[in-house]
Amino acid sequence: MSKHQYAMVMDLNKCLGCQTCTIACKKLWTDRDGTGYMYWNNVETRPGLGYPRQWDRIGGGWKDGALQPSPLPTMDDYGHAWEYNYEQRLYEGKKQPVMPSPEPKSGCNWDEDVGGMNEDENYFFYLPRICNHCTYPACLEACPRKAIYKREEDGIVVIDQDRCQGYRYCIKACPYKKIYFNEVTGKSEKCIFCYPRLEKGEVNACAAQCPGRLRFVGLLDDPESPVHKLVLVHKIALPLFPEKGTQPNVFYVPPFNPPKRANYGKSIQEDPRVPLDYLIYLFGPEVKDVILRLGAELNKTQQGGRSEALQLLTGRDAETRYHVRPQLVQIQL
Amino acid sequence: MRTRQLLIVVSACLLLSTIWAQTGANPTAGQSLSVATSSVSADNLLKAGPAAWSQIAVKHVALNRTPPLYDTDEPATREISSVDVRLARVSKNLLVQLSWRDPTHDAVTLAEVPDTTPETRFRKVQTEADDRFFDAAAVMFPAKSGSDAIAPSLQMGDAEHPVKIYYWNATRGSMVMQAQGRGTTRRTGQNFPANSTYQNGQWNVIFELPDLPAGTTVAFAVWNGSQKDRDGRKYFSVWQVLE
Repeated sequence: MSKHQYAMVMDLNKCLGCQTCTIACKKLWTDRDGTGYMYWNNVETRPGLGYPRQWDRIGGGWKDGALQPSPLPTMDDYGHAWEYNYEQRLYEGKKQPVMPSPEPKSGCNWDEDVGGMNEDENYFFYLPRICNHCTYPACLEACPRKAIYKREEDGIVVIDQDRCQGYRYCIKACPYKKIYFNEVTGKSEKCIFCYPRLEKGEVNACAAQCPGRLRFVGLLDDPESPVHKLVLVHKIALPLFPEKGTQPNVFYVPPFNPPKRANYGKSIQEDPRVPLDYLIYLFGPEVKDVILRLGAELNKTQQGGRSEALQLLTGRDAETRYHVRPQLVQIQL
Repeated sequence: MRTRQLLIVVSACLLLSTIWAQTGANPTAGQSLSVATSSVSADNLLKAGPAAWSQIAVKHVALNRTPPLYDTDEPATREISSVDVRLARVSKNLLVQLSWRDPTHDAVTLAEVPDTTPETRFRKVQTEADDRFFDAAAVMFPAKSGSDAIAPSLQMGDAEHPVKIYYWNATRGSMVMQAQGRGTTRRTGQNFPANSTYQNGQWNVIFELPDLPAGTTVAFAVWNGSQKDRDGRKYFSVWQVLE
């Protein structure tokens, strides 16, 4: 068990699906050989296939203290990375438009904005995903080479590239399929929660670049941090698929879920836009209480009152949303 | 689940007891390997074709399949039953040829990593697959020289008896590893000369090892990529003794 735990809260009500976080991460960390297909941060449309597709039904995680089996996703599940023939078009006089190659057949946001139907009405929302830096990481348990470790000082889960031998037991074990194999290096890699940035007092690149300002970062055990307040005090953020047993440290403020026809005075659980069953599927049964809590906070402000939780959620300033502690070793919380 | 775990433990014990019966403190005479002396240079013998090697005495070494190591493993059948071993001592080296039948050729040539100058940055090498594994083989022997009477643990040695592992992979080439017990295998950063051919469903892989004195115990392992072999999921021999 680590001494401290960095955590992230993402407010799904504020996600625009613009993929700026995805690009920020890609430019910073996965712009190397062999990483073409991999997105440590991705934003998928829910309901939807996800990335890799059907990752939520593939397996892995814990059950009754034992790791659960899972196949490895295939490259078809991730979508083969493609490149554009800019060189031919721009320098070699090719007249045809710039084309991608190989022909794209799937990708990390392939079914973007498709969503699902609730009776006769379409609905969807975006789900940004990074490694959950779990408290009980299944990947760590699965690695026979002990290449994966959880940093004692901040709970960030990393893969030692010197130890990794590319066996991929970790990819099978991760129920969120957030570890990727680099065939060029022959090793697996994953989100490192931007620890080199945190150590310099800078927040994660995906959070820093987010135009929707939907990410909150801090130590879960730091009473001053926004994530502590949102998860443990206001109790309005939940982990994804809690039943997988890994205890994620990335939390989501679920969609407020207003009524489909916006009838004034209707409870947010009457005639909901997003079927409640689907939210329960993603976040567990506690999502019902969270939605009620969010509704109560909303009512409070609509009647002229003050909601500390909503003030935090709408926080514009970096100081409100992030509480990065670069000198972790010296702090006693 | 519990029944399965019990089955795994029992099958592992049975397998280990068989191995111990076969090896004991001193491997029996049946496990000795004759070593030819060759006047050809190591470099030439490394590159020599089957004709040169066929003149060297061959030993058919039985291969065992490791029992399922993890609960989440898919079961695997025993598709490779033995490996043919030929040894030749050449000046200061011991050359070992391992030959085994494997109908599936699991090897690729990975694209060369280009120089990523700003002008060529958009021509990245793309990963072609994430779920394939490659054929491989290895020779293991005690890291400490001199006959020690007790062979190290077959599971990558033990604390008192570290081992060296000369590992060859059909895609990634050769590397020297060392270990002192299961789960402790480390890359040394060194590699070694090796040569491999795959013809008519058969691998012939030649390893150039340092000169090992008579009486040294050696063990062999083979991985079949199409069976998702890697790590301890493999075929292995019991200890053999160099004559």
